[in-house]
Amino acid sequence: MSRGLFEPRKIGEMAPASRLALYTVLIAWSLFVIFPIYWLLITSFKTPAAVNNGPFFLPWVDFQPSLHAWRDLFVVDFADTIRAYMNSIIIALSSTALSVLVGSMAAYSLSRIEFAPNLITILYFVALLIGSCVAIGVFGADLWLTLAVAVALFFLLARAVGRLYTVRLQNGDILFWIISQRILAPIVVVVPIYMMFQSVRLLDTHIALILTYAVVNMPIVVWLMFDFFNSIPRDLEESAQLDGATMIMTFREIVLPLSRAGLSATTLLVMIFAWNEYLLALFISTSRAQTMPILVAAMNAGERGILWWTMSVAIIVMIIPVVVLAVVLQKYISKGLLVGAVKG
Amino acid sequence: MNTQSPDMKAAAKGIALRDMNKYYGSFHALKDLSLEVAPGEFLVLLGPSGCGKSTALRMIAGLESISSGTLMIGEQDVTEVLPKYRDIAMVFQSYALYPHKTVGENIGFPLKVAKMPKPEMDAAIRAAAEQVELEELLERLPGQLSGGQRQRVALARAIVRRPSVFLMDEPLSNLDAKLRGNMRAELKHMQNELGITTIYVTHDQIEAMTLAHRVAIMKDGELQQLGSPKEVYSDPANLFVAGFMGSPPMNFVEGALRDGLFAAAGVSLGAEGYGDCAQVTLGFRPEDCSVVGAGEGQLDAQVFTLEMTGDQTLVTFRAGNRPLVVKMPKDFEVAADSTAGIGFDADSACFFDSSTGLRLRKSG
Repeated sequence: MSRGLFEPRKIGEMAPASRLALYTVLIAWSLFVIFPIYWLLITSFKTPAAVNNGPFFLPWVDFQPSLHAWRDLFVVDFADTIRAYMNSIIIALSSTALSVLVGSMAAYSLSRIEFAPNLITILYFVALLIGSCVAIGVFGADLWLTLAVAVALFFLLARAVGRLYTVRLQNGDILFWIISQRILAPIVVVVPIYMMFQSVRLLDTHIALILTYAVVNMPIVVWLMFDFFNSIPRDLEESAQLDGATMIMTFREIVLPLSRAGLSATTLLVMIFAWNEYLLALFISTSRAQTMPILVAAMNAGERGILWWTMSVAIIVMIIPVVVLAVVLQKYISKGLLVGAVKG
Repeated sequence: MNTQSPDMKAAAKGIALRDMNKYYGSFHALKDLSLEVAPGEFLVLLGPSGCGKSTALRMIAGLESISSGTLMIGEQDVTEVLPKYRDIAMVFQSYALYPHKTVGENIGFPLKVAKMPKPEMDAAIRAAAEQVELEELLERLPGQLSGGQRQRVALARAIVRRPSVFLMDEPLSNLDAKLRGNMRAELKHMQNELGITTIYVTHDQIEAMTLAHRVAIMKDGELQQLGSPKEVYSDPANLFVAGFMGSPPMNFVEGALRDGLFAAAGVSLGAEGYGDCAQVTLGFRPEDCSVVGAGEGQLDAQVFTLEMTGDQTLVTFRAGNRPLVVKMPKDFEVAADSTAGIGFDADSACFFDSSTGLRLRKSG
C-alpha cells in the first residue's frame, strides 16, 4: 500500500510534504524578520570605512569588528546618550502608569455603571467654555467675573433647558467619543499642544511629554480594558459584595487578579507606543527632555553625514528594554483565566 | 457582624416584604409584593421566566434597589441597607465561584473578609467542606471541578459563615436531571438541619413542591397565590396557578354556568351552589379522573394517544382543539382513535371565571 506524500502517517500528525512546506515558509520568514536585527548588530561593530566600502556581512571574514561606534556613544558622548535614555525610560514608564491607571478605572466604571448624561447639557457646557475663552482671550474680560457668569448661566440653563430636551447619551456613545480621540491623527493637534505647553512654560520638560503621551494613549487603554472588564461576570462581584467585601476589597481580591492578563497586554502595548513615539517628542522636547527616537533621528542630520554605526548602537540599546518587558509580561498574557467561574 | 463562631447555630430571622415595587424606567417589574417569611422557613418563589421572582430575590439581597415599599429582616428595616450589612448568603445560578482561588479559599472568602483568625477559619472551612463532602478537593481550582462539585462549593461558601438568611437563585438548574434530584434532597436536609430561613427561586414546580414549606407563585410581577405545596396544588386560586402546577397540568374545558348546571359542548355537569356566569372554565386534575366507556362519564372524546411513563399510562384525548390528559394505571389499554368517556368526581373539579381567571367558590 503506497502512501502519498500529502497523506498523514498518524492521526494528529502532518503529512511529510505539508511539514516540509510549513518549515520552509517559517524558516524563510524568520530569516526575513531576523536579518535587519543581525544587520544592525554587525553595523554597530563596523568602522565608518567598513560601512562605506561595504556591504560586508560576516565579521572577522569580511571585515574586522571594532568598538569604535560604541566608544563614540558611551564614552565620548556619554552624557547626551544616557540623558536621552533616562528621559525615554522615565517618560515611557510614567505615562504608561498614568494612562493605564486612569484609563482602566474609566473602563471599569463604563462597564459597570449606566451613565445617562443629557446631550443638551454637554453642548451648552462646551458653548459656555468656548464663550468664556473668547471673552477672556480676545476681549480681555476679567477671568473671575467671566467664570462666575459662566457658572451661573450653566446652572440656569441646566434648570430651564435640561428639562425640555431630554436626549440622553449612553455608555456606548461615551466609549465611542473616547475612541474617536485616537482616530484623530496627532499631527492635527501638534501645534495647539505646542502652544499650550509654551503658554504654561512647560516645553522641553518631562511633565509635558508624560501628560501628552498619557492622554494620547488613554483611549487605547479604555477601549481594550472595557472589553476585558465586560468579560468578567458580574455575579462574582455581587457575590463578593454579599460576602461582606468592600468595593476596594472586591476590586483587589476579585477584579484585579482576573484582569491581570488584560492589564499586562495593555501596559505592554501602551509602553511600546510611548517608547517609540517621535512626532510629539520632536515638537515638545528640544534638548533637556529629548528622548531616544529623537537622538537616533538626529544622527542622520549632522554635518558628518549619516552615522550608520552609532545609529545602530543607539537602536540596539533602545530595543533591549522592550524585549525585557515583553518577556516579563508574557507569562501573564495567557488565556483561560476565567474557566470555572460560572456554569459547568 | 459575622463574628459568631461557625459551630454556633445562628438565630434564624424572619423576613417581611411590604408592598415592594420595582420599576425599570416605565416597566413595572414587581407589583406590590407583600410576603411574610417565618424564621427557619423554606419559601420558594415559583413562576415562569420574566415573572419578577429573580428581581424580588435580588432586591432582598440588596443587589437591586427597592423602588417603593419596605423590607424587614428580623426586627431591622433593611430597605436602604447595603448588601454586606444584611447578613445574607446567596447561591447564584452561575455559582459565581472565584476562578483564581482554590476551593478552600472560595469557601473561606466570607470569613477572610470578616477577618477571622487563621486557625478558626481553617476549622470552619473544613467543617463546611465536610458538610457538602468536598474535603478532598480543597486545593483544587473551580475550573478542575465538575458541575455538581462546583454547586457544592457554592453551597459551602454560603453556609460557612452561618448567615441569618439564605437566598438561592435557581441553584440546581445547571445540573443534569439525576444530580438535580440528589442535590434537591441534600438541600432540603441541610436547610432542615441548619434551620436557616431560606428563599429559593425556581421555575421548576417539582423543585418547588418537594423543597418548600410554602410556595409563592408569581406571574408578570404579581403574586398569584401563597400557600403550602398541597394548598396551591389542590386548591388553586386562579386559572394560572391551576395550569402552572402539576405535570401534566390540569385539564380545562370551557363552557357556561347557569341554574346550577355547567354546560359545554357534549358536557353537562351538576354544579350546585355556584352563581350564574357566561364564561366559565372547568378544571380537573389528570389523576382525579379515569377513562370509562363512551357515554358513561361526564364527557366523551376521541383518544389521541397513549403514553407509557413506567409507573402509569397517560391517555391524551382531543376535545375541540384542547388536549385532555387522564392518568391511568400502568397496564391500562385503550384503542387509539376510539371514542371513550372521561369520568370524574364533580366535587374534585374547580370552576374559574374565564374572563378574570379567578376561582369561583361555592356560595354558602
